[in-house]
Amino acid sequence: MKYESQKIAMNYFMIAAVLFGLQIVFGLITGAKYVWDFDPLINILPFNTSRAIHINLLVVWLLFGFMGGTYYIVPEEAQTEIYSKKLANFQLVLFALIGVTAIVGYLLGWTWGMPFLEQPTVLKFGIVIVALIFLFNIFMTMMKTKKWTVIQGVLLGGLVMLAGMFLFGIFFMKNLADQYFWWWWVIHLWVEGAWELVTGAIMAFMLMKLTGVDRELVEKWLYVEVGLVLFTGIVGTGHHYYWIGTPNYWLWWGGIFSAFEPLPILFMVIDTLRVVRERKTEIPNRVALSWAVGCAVMHFFGAGVWGFAHTLPQINQWTHGTQVTASHGHFAFFGAYAMLNLTMFYFAMPQLRGLTTFNQSLGVKSFWFMCSFMGLIALSLGIAGIVQAYFQRVLGMDYLTTQEYMKLWYAVFWVSAWGFAAGVVMFLMDFYRLARARS
Amino acid sequence: MTLSRAKAIFIWGTVISAAIFLYLSYDSLVQMPKRTQEEKLDSHVVAGKWVWQKYNCNDCHTILGIGGYYAPDVTKVMSTRDGEWVTRFLKDPEKVWPNARKMPNLHLQDQEVADVVAFLTWVNGINTNNWPPKPLVATAVTSGSPGETVYKAQGCSACHLLNGVGGKVGPDLSRVGGKRDKAWIEAQLKNPKSHNPNSIMPSFSRLSQKDIDDLADYLAGLR
Repeated sequence: MKYESQKIAMNYFMIAAVLFGLQIVFGLITGAKYVWDFDPLINILPFNTSRAIHINLLVVWLLFGFMGGTYYIVPEEAQTEIYSKKLANFQLVLFALIGVTAIVGYLLGWTWGMPFLEQPTVLKFGIVIVALIFLFNIFMTMMKTKKWTVIQGVLLGGLVMLAGMFLFGIFFMKNLADQYFWWWWVIHLWVEGAWELVTGAIMAFMLMKLTGVDRELVEKWLYVEVGLVLFTGIVGTGHHYYWIGTPNYWLWWGGIFSAFEPLPILFMVIDTLRVVRERKTEIPNRVALSWAVGCAVMHFFGAGVWGFAHTLPQINQWTHGTQVTASHGHFAFFGAYAMLNLTMFYFAMPQLRGLTTFNQSLGVKSFWFMCSFMGLIALSLGIAGIVQAYFQRVLGMDYLTTQEYMKLWYAVFWVSAWGFAAGVVMFLMDFYRLARARS
Repeated sequence: MTLSRAKAIFIWGTVISAAIFLYLSYDSLVQMPKRTQEEKLDSHVVAGKWVWQKYNCNDCHTILGIGGYYAPDVTKVMSTRDGEWVTRFLKDPEKVWPNARKMPNLHLQDQEVADVVAFLTWVNGINTNNWPPKPLVATAVTSGSPGETVYKAQGCSACHLLNGVGGKVGPDLSRVGGKRDKAWIEAQLKNPKSHNPNSIMPSFSRLSQKDIDDLADYLAGLR
């Protein structure tokens, strides 16, 4: 750590970690409702509310992580202190307050009712203000020295795109098909656009610092990778436009472009492994290294392979709206984004605390727990989804009867989720220990 | 590869893809009013859409295949259920569907229920490129008799098993025709308490005589 204001990141990371833990609690509750038909919480916390909280916490903790990561990286890249520490802290408090209000609101039935964008409109405007403060602070910091590194440029571009796309999810539309058309501009162009830019830049920075490889090499590949991500991902939005009232040419455009979406992710894996092999310094932080390499691999399988498996319309017509999507969703979000943040935590925390060495055994253990049990979660939900697609869609069995045949896989899924939760608990204990450690 | 070439890949990749995407998006938005029958989108449908959102239905049910996977997709629900059934269901889900996984009673106002039915009826008319696809096997083995259609539309399988499919609240109907004749079944449909005063089966006397006839024919033929 070279700049005092990088410490801002610490509070962002802490909130992110707490919300991550809470997300898992609501995940376990939501999952239990699949395993048992009898739901004692049906009138207090029905499935829709607990799912809304589970997925909102996911997005919010990831965003806290990205923001913290940005506050950590930008001073080093721009070689100056953050423009305003006060604004950064205000932004943190405002965002946290909006988050708490949203979740309490869901519990009381205050919702806007579109998945992931359940936040009532007034809170969405609050989120826009948070984003504007954040962008302003980051932009002004970069303008102080005007050192336009590729990492900074891609990071800023990604953040601007992230904030800009959110605007398409704010307004109520009379036509449901239109509403979903624009909804995907937020959801898809976030996860297969803006977020890839942000995380690509963060990962490039971390790999460069961890391995000591030349900046030029890292930045060259960053350009190529995010270029291909956007090339395939933007038109690839079309794989969500197969069945929602949009014209049928999307079956071609969406199918072909999204079929190539795994390609840039494969490049990232190769690139990461090469950079690690050609490292110019020893990497004492094995936990951060495990998460970084693991992230590349799990990103490829979760987003790339699992996505490719049902992206072609010939297959998607059977699997669309089944647990196959839930399997892909869990695997991809974890591999691409949760793991990126976990890498960031382990990369930055020791430096923020001024530690040269730290006990890594619990961190490594939690890495293996989370990764292997997420693999089982993806597998069991995937099998449940295949059973569902076959019985319900191919054989024409009704929805609820089909669910009975999926019960076994829901049980495997739920037990695996407890294994994953054990990994998260280990991580939280380790994180707490690191956060309190003194050099 | 040089850095400037990498930069060119980034810029051109983004620009080309964005240009294609924006053009196709524009064209889609031009075509969608017709594909979604926007002329039928009246104030009831809009009100129903808001009811759908207000109660966060979408985090349990998928619609257009998007949302929670906890409850059935409702995109084409009005092709298999009539408005009367949906109304009855929404007023008291557990009474109509006592078996298995439950939907909470949302205590909807009559107007809200009517609006949701209008909304779902409109959604049913959206051209979804034939999604969800017709089952490959069921279409081949079902008789396609009018009674079978009534059986499905009324959701009899919520309580009754038929060839291994359905609930276990009421008796298995797979071979009911071997035990009961058409007249008995008709009487049962109109007034379930006529055979057993303690029966919890709801009466279907509100169905038209033709529907009752078709349904009784169909069931009496199951041997």
